[in-house]
Amino acid sequence: MTPTVYQAPREWTRLHPVSPFLGAWSVFGAIGAYWFFNNAPEWAGGAGEAAEGTWHPAIITLAIIGLVIALFVVAGGYLAWRMTTFRITDDSVELRKGILFRQNKQARLDRLQAVDVVQPLLARIFRFASVRIEVAGGEGSTVALEYLRLGDAEALRNEIMVLAAGLKTGRPAAAEGEAPSAGSAQEPSLRDVLRPDEQAVPAIAAAEERDVLSVPLGRLVASIALSGPFLWLVGLPLAGLVVILAVSSEVETALLGIIGGSIAGFLPLVFAIVGYVWTRLTGGFGFVAGISADGVRLRHGMLETRRQTVPPGRVQAVKLRQPLLWRGRDWWRITINVAGYQAGETAVSTLLPVGTRADALAALWLVLPDLGDPDPEGTISRAMSGRGADGGFVASPRSARWFDPMQWKNRGVRATETALLIREGALVRELSIVPHERTQSLGLSQGPLERAAGVASVIIHSTPGPVMPAAHHLAVEDAFRLIEEQAIRAREGRRKQTPEQWLAAVAPAIDDVLASDDITAAPESDVAPTLLPADAPRAPLPADAPGAPVPTDGSTATADRVEQAPHSPTPPERRDV
Amino acid sequence: MTWFEPEGASWTYVDRRLIPARLLSFGIPLLLLLVATAVPAVMFGGLVWLAPAAVAIILLWTSWIVVRQVGAHAWAEREDDLLVKRGRMFKRVTVVPYGRMQFVEVEAGPLARAFGIARVQLHTAAPGTDASIAGVPTDEAARLRDRLTARGEATLAGL
Repeated sequence: MTPTVYQAPREWTRLHPVSPFLGAWSVFGAIGAYWFFNNAPEWAGGAGEAAEGTWHPAIITLAIIGLVIALFVVAGGYLAWRMTTFRITDDSVELRKGILFRQNKQARLDRLQAVDVVQPLLARIFRFASVRIEVAGGEGSTVALEYLRLGDAEALRNEIMVLAAGLKTGRPAAAEGEAPSAGSAQEPSLRDVLRPDEQAVPAIAAAEERDVLSVPLGRLVASIALSGPFLWLVGLPLAGLVVILAVSSEVETALLGIIGGSIAGFLPLVFAIVGYVWTRLTGGFGFVAGISADGVRLRHGMLETRRQTVPPGRVQAVKLRQPLLWRGRDWWRITINVAGYQAGETAVSTLLPVGTRADALAALWLVLPDLGDPDPEGTISRAMSGRGADGGFVASPRSARWFDPMQWKNRGVRATETALLIREGALVRELSIVPHERTQSLGLSQGPLERAAGVASVIIHSTPGPVMPAAHHLAVEDAFRLIEEQAIRAREGRRKQTPEQWLAAVAPAIDDVLASDDITAAPESDVAPTLLPADAPRAPLPADAPGAPVPTDGSTATADRVEQAPHSPTPPERRDV
Repeated sequence: MTWFEPEGASWTYVDRRLIPARLLSFGIPLLLLLVATAVPAVMFGGLVWLAPAAVAIILLWTSWIVVRQVGAHAWAEREDDLLVKRGRMFKRVTVVPYGRMQFVEVEAGPLARAFGIARVQLHTAAPGTDASIAGVPTDEAARLRDRLTARGEATLAGL
């Protein structure tokens, strides 16, 4: 079959006509379930043919009401689809929508923070996807295009990344030379739903991508089983059982009481915990992090898959976290702040759901390639599990023990040339990292008790997200010095930060590299990294096949690859070239 | 140990008119409560007097806090950033680089307008940025806003 070439529309274009159906699937689901209940035979859990109630007038009325609602949903969806158009220009993505109240949204590409291709289950089955373009602008600034054919979505994503990077010339067309007979994509139609798997080729190829790390399912499950909420879920009924067995001899009653009691009494809690476990599992399922010229790429999701692209320098803050029970295996979880991602979306703001120390270092290197430290690996490693003044940290004074009886020894701050490291947590270890140029503003605070103990806290204000970096209970003079120095470092950092069009400066070099390498080859191919200028020392990236099974206790398998890869003494410098 | 005295910062304290403005907004409900509790106290006497007494103490205490707080609230424009300090018991200082300001907001309610003062608030991309200056004289607030905006534009950096 000849590949079909997809191209992002420069003219006002409608979304795919199937969008209303994909969007309103829950309504259809409910109606379908109702129909099933009424018509399915008894053995399948339905009311069965014999049931008297099926054709009862009230039921018929309900069915009619349901039908009318469904019609309204379809008509409304159709109208909304008719009125929604989008296009891409050289410097923005525009979306017009609304039936009564027209809305015109514009995502400026120089403000681009991330582009996600999201495929909810139903869309995934029928090979559709939505594109979410995140710009810095607070809640509601996301431009979400729901839904496009997968090929259209990818073409749009690639074109956005090329334009935003300042590569006006564009990357070479993917199918050029290879498949001269390739037809361009036809107008979207409802028949797309039934189309067999086709070879979709975007007009602009995706930047070459290398997978740097992946999370094996076994480790993900184990990490969830070792998390506090899961232990609560299992532990609460068990603990109750033990207590009741200790006082009561009637085992059966006790058992029932326990199960009933814990379910009834803790139902909201159980729901919350199950939700947490579910979110963690689906969000981290099949997690792969990679790097490309477009920035960091993350793919994950079980039912709903999400492919995220975060351009270089868009990560505002990073947090490495190790719950107590992960310490034995030295597993870490990394979350990031990206402006545009809403604070509640934990699955979206996760850089690494669970990984070994080596994985964590590799993931950190993805988002902060230059840590401004001669020995970044050692520094971070010491920062992850050090205490007191280890590794050049400014630790909290002894008087801070009044506030943190356990973790005062673990609190510490250290600045490298490019980022600020904040270490805390005795049981749950945490390390927050904020690049200096990403510091929004700084806060200093001291309450009366802190004053009595001669300590003060410094807060680094970052964009909304899971990371809220703060150095609590530093000695007063250390806090004063930190806030003064940090203000200066942030200023210096801003002065030489990544340009908004991050590749504009290095575009010719990249073009050369891209032109010389066969970038249309499979991403697993052993092509040299294209990120680096030819003369730069090339830190070999771990060349794992995507999703390659890594042993659950992958410390040995992954340790050596990190030694050679991230944080090489001369890290790949993409900022000031 | 003295509190944070950054280099090159000359503090401008907020206008004292903020005291009556805040006292009125705090005080009127409390005064009403005082009257409401004092009436039964006059009628019945005895222990009922405890209620108005408590209200009166709260009123005096809040007033004292307001006076102290206003006396500690100040801002300083440095070359590259704006400093805002507040609080005596719970001291806070916020450092906002001009290049990080997204917008400046000037706000004045009816009470504040009656006293000729306004509140200037700086917004960055971080919700945690807590940089509002209450009680800036109205004309000074407009000048401050223009100055901040100009400096912000001159040094604006991407996120």
